[in-house]
Amino acid sequence: MKRKQSKKYLALQKLRIISQLAFFVLFFILFMKTHYGGADYLTITVERYFHFDPLLALTTTIGARLFFAAFWLSLITLTFTLIFGRAVCGWICPFGAIHQFFSFIFKKTRWLKPKRDDRLSLAPKYIILIIILVASIFAVNLAGYLDPLSFLYRSFAVYITPLLNMAFSQSASLAYGLGLESFGQTLGQTLGNLALNSFFQNALVIGLLFFAVIALNAWKERFWCRYLCPAGALLGLFSRFNLFKLSIDPEKCTNCHLCSIQCQTNARPYPADEWRSSECIYCETCAAICPTAAITFPLRWKPEKIQGVNLSRRKILLTSLTTLLVAPIFKITPHRQRAYPALIRPPGAQPEEKFLNKCIKCGECLKVCPTNGLQPALTEAGPEGIWTPVLVPRIGYCEYYCSLCSQVCPTGAIRELTIEEKTTVKIGTAFVDKNRCLPYAQGRQCLVCEEHCPVSPKAIQTITVETLTPGGQVTTNLAPFVNANDCIGCGICENKCVVADKPAIRVSSIGEQRTKKTGFIL
Amino acid sequence: MERREFIKGLVIGSVAIGFSPSLFSQSGYPDLVVVTGESPEKITREAVELLGGIRRFISRGDKVIIKPNIGWDRTPDMAACTNPEIVKTVVSMALEAGAKEVIVMDHTINQAKRCYIRSGIQAAAQSAGAKVLLTEDQRLRKVNLKGEWLKEWEVFVDFLEADKIINMPATKVHSLSKVTLGMKNWLGAIGGSRNQLHQKIDQAIVDLSAFFKPTLTILDSYRILWRNGPQGGRISDTKLMKTVVAGTDPVATDAYGATFFDFKPQELLFLQLASARGLGKLELEKVRIEKKTV
Repeated sequence: MKRKQSKKYLALQKLRIISQLAFFVLFFILFMKTHYGGADYLTITVERYFHFDPLLALTTTIGARLFFAAFWLSLITLTFTLIFGRAVCGWICPFGAIHQFFSFIFKKTRWLKPKRDDRLSLAPKYIILIIILVASIFAVNLAGYLDPLSFLYRSFAVYITPLLNMAFSQSASLAYGLGLESFGQTLGQTLGNLALNSFFQNALVIGLLFFAVIALNAWKERFWCRYLCPAGALLGLFSRFNLFKLSIDPEKCTNCHLCSIQCQTNARPYPADEWRSSECIYCETCAAICPTAAITFPLRWKPEKIQGVNLSRRKILLTSLTTLLVAPIFKITPHRQRAYPALIRPPGAQPEEKFLNKCIKCGECLKVCPTNGLQPALTEAGPEGIWTPVLVPRIGYCEYYCSLCSQVCPTGAIRELTIEEKTTVKIGTAFVDKNRCLPYAQGRQCLVCEEHCPVSPKAIQTITVETLTPGGQVTTNLAPFVNANDCIGCGICENKCVVADKPAIRVSSIGEQRTKKTGFIL
Repeated sequence: MERREFIKGLVIGSVAIGFSPSLFSQSGYPDLVVVTGESPEKITREAVELLGGIRRFISRGDKVIIKPNIGWDRTPDMAACTNPEIVKTVVSMALEAGAKEVIVMDHTINQAKRCYIRSGIQAAAQSAGAKVLLTEDQRLRKVNLKGEWLKEWEVFVDFLEADKIINMPATKVHSLSKVTLGMKNWLGAIGGSRNQLHQKIDQAIVDLSAFFKPTLTILDSYRILWRNGPQGGRISDTKLMKTVVAGTDPVATDAYGATFFDFKPQELLFLQLASARGLGKLELEKVRIEKKTV
């Protein structure tokens, strides 16, 4: 028997690696372009790839009972998968590329080498998919937590961006310290231009989860893609025809099992009739690695059945029923009943119910926010709203002439606004805390909040207050007074207040215009 | 050293002192010029010309830093920042005088890049050949300001490294210091918790003005902000004055600027404090002012 690997499939494998690299680079470029680049309106649709994701399209459509037009692009992915199988996972998905890369690295090491046995059930991702789909029928939107694009983008926004920021600022300091003035300046100016957000609440959980799913590749190769990815599972269900079908030439095959051992997604190429076509991502590893070039993917028109996935009808039914019972728990929260002070949504956000149905927690808005003010929620928005964006004015305020978050939202949870519209949107109201405000409580002048109020006429007006001080003297100072009807809730007053820990002027969601529920002044 | 050489040196030295700019100005040039006209460029050039020309202030090979007010994310017609054309003109003039490098910089309040772009100052200054830089936290240095209130504070080292500083403020009202002109403009050259300075804003302004010594102050009063200061927001908050006020005495320049808002210089606490500190003349009657329309 002549031992010779297939040149054609080795070339295809290389091509696939190039494709993965290219799409990852594209993802990263679009990620870095998601910031204020000098124009009020972003010129490229940086969030476009989300629209190719059928899982997001499906759950958002079901959950919001509304089809968001841009999601028609996901039909391209579906049609492609219907005909060619899960090649998208192997060739295009940037998260898949990351897993593949780390699997590759781990395989080279002795300690992190992933285990080879294939006893682990491939079913969990289908279970996850069922849970997400059934929950979306109840308008409980869980897709974003495990959708690969959302997961990846959110992790990059909350974890990688601050890392980049640290790297840049540390390098700049080092360069200046070493006397490399011009290099330091280049780094420093780049840093200022990129405006990388550096602080996020809940970063520990989001960052560790990202770290964990990468680390899981040391247990099983492409662990996420094999066992967890609900989008991959959905594509698996749709991979019906797989025009290019695996075939093993029995004349050449030496039964060495190398193909099955090396298969990235445990699609079991050998024996050919046990090939799990719905798991195959067409990475071409098996065909390329086969020492006798026995494996090929010839064109063959015959629908495939999902096989090799331990997913009984009973399991599906049980999962669906459980979800039916559990999903409504998300709705049992007073957040739906009345306003919550810290629930300050970005300008253009849909009314809360609709917002929750559409928001996929992808983190596009967190990345693009120029002040770092948009933060992933933890308890602010109730159980359904974990990691949805809220404005935390203490960290960053809503920039007056900025509508970037509304421009990058991939699902329309934040309605796209022009700058002119944005400046009129009320997202909350500021209140002065007289017990902490310097003119009121300390008898000192301050008025920092009034200076920063961006609306004209200013929502923060001044009044003269007299404060009795311990010596019996009365000090007279100008003090802030908020005209609630003029205040748009941008939070710059809270952000710039000198009483930094618990500012003496604070914005809460009351009065936000997207809903009548939070009105308070008749 | 031989006696003859010593005497020669003495003679040359005394002649040089006799013609030095500071003494020269007392004899020839006005302390303050006020030029009005349609073209921002022309009135700026004329103002500097009346003060003795840019070469009086900038020497060949100088590293110049220009400090406009780029504090807010506002377009030029809102009059919250310095007029970009006026900044551009001064950049050109400094380079014409042979400056090695002209840096334009301000510590903004809104997102820096936004302010630099929307104010039009970045594009204008760059087109004239300036290096427009964002402030960098890495370039803050703790400095002893030797102020009455402010002792140690963080200052951007760019302002310390420059040979010449040109202050280019906008003309605006302010609810606390009543006006914000040239002396208050130094709040944009420092870092730290600037929001604490409001507690004694007038003293802070004076302490900073005693530290930063501009070669020249060019007050942009082309469009002034008379309401809703210091950032305005509507065109109706502004007034067209089509004027540039320039001078070497920072107190006198601000004193004149205050009159745009019908304030008497004596009414403004920071001017009183500055005058008492000996930073310049507050009484406009005692200042040699030259007015011109072009």
